[in-house]
Amino acid sequence: MDFYYLAGSAPCRAVIMTAKALGVELNKKVLNLMEGEHLKPEFVKINPQHTIPTIVDDGFVLWESRAILVYLVEKYGKDDSLYPKDPEQQAVINQRLYFDMGTLYKSFADYYYPQLMYNKPADPEAYKKIQDAFGFLNTFLEGQDYMAGSQLTIADISLLATVSTFTVTGFQLSDYPNVEKWYENAQTVTPGWDENWEGVLETKKWFEAKFPSK
Amino acid sequence: MDFYYAPASAPCRAILMAAKTLGIELNKKLLSLPEGEHLKPEFVKINPQHTIPTIVDNGFALWESRAILVYLAQKFGKDDSLFPKDLQKQAVVNQRLYFDSGVLMKAFADYYVVQYLLKQPADPEKFKKCEEAFSFFNTFLEGQLYAAGDKLTVADISLLASVSTFEALGFKISEYPNVDKWYANAKKVIPGFAETWESMQEALANLKL
Repeated sequence: MDFYYLAGSAPCRAVIMTAKALGVELNKKVLNLMEGEHLKPEFVKINPQHTIPTIVDDGFVLWESRAILVYLVEKYGKDDSLYPKDPEQQAVINQRLYFDMGTLYKSFADYYYPQLMYNKPADPEAYKKIQDAFGFLNTFLEGQDYMAGSQLTIADISLLATVSTFTVTGFQLSDYPNVEKWYENAQTVTPGWDENWEGVLETKKWFEAKFPSK
Repeated sequence: MDFYYAPASAPCRAILMAAKTLGIELNKKLLSLPEGEHLKPEFVKINPQHTIPTIVDNGFALWESRAILVYLAQKFGKDDSLFPKDLQKQAVVNQRLYFDSGVLMKAFADYYVVQYLLKQPADPEKFKKCEEAFSFFNTFLEGQLYAAGDKLTVADISLLASVSTFEALGFKISEYPNVDKWYANAKKVIPGFAETWESMQEALANLKL
């Protein structure tokens, strides 16, 4: 299975951890976005939206990390524990995945990207959105050890990639005790955590280069 | 099934159309966001993230429109056509749903919503993102009449709600020939479109955009 990615990219790291959990070998192909490698005709032919992560599984092309996570579990999972077949359980996982993309990761991008990429000033309203997102996450975790219930699922893996990315900014999880507890546990039980962390450190280097004082 | 919604909201319209398609009776409960009705304790108890659409199906509360669409198709579909069991077909539907949320409607929010809600000036860079999103969708539709292949799926329903909202605010869909063709067909074949379009127009008029 070909896997187009960058180590620092949170959604790519979610795929790496899920593949590790499922024992799926990835034929890794780095795409340097900064040098426009994703815009080369060979890649656009594969994925017209030219985003990462992208997989090619025996000729079947797929992108959008969270669609990939579902596909990998359904195809390669020995059981359905990472994405239970029950519609209600699945629905909760799907809600967490959309929350991850549309609320949590979005809050990271909306606050940091304008500063990092366009040298815009920090927007306190956008920072408040980060705090709101973590507040919601904290509430989702009330009384449970995992994001969608009592066992590890791809909701945890996707959110782990995102939450670990926040740490490069010095963001403190201590204000969100349920999230903090979940994060400490997730690191120990999620396969591929070490590789995820290596990727986080890549992002951290880039972040600290742009924000030397932080 | 309780359904918390607002008529101008694209994701809410997707659920209304899906329910019509699947023959589901919705117990509709209007929530006025400008009046903060979503922040009332009774609703926050049901959905701690206090967003719409939210459904409560026999005590099971669910939000995020695209999670709801998949749940409804899986639970109430007579067959799996709206959300195929085939892994590859399903994966493409999922990718289109994430595209709808993360690229298409994100572009809508960044260009249109910031103008109307936050009274910011129109940003041409953000408009380019709308054009880019439609261009991608146009490419996805090359050689096919439906968003995820040759049959109607929940991806079409979600995208119909989104694309029609762009049109309502003046975006020129006709510049994207595949999308234009898809749109004309989707409006015909997806139940509930006309009704939800009318309610949206009324609601938009009341917002005095």
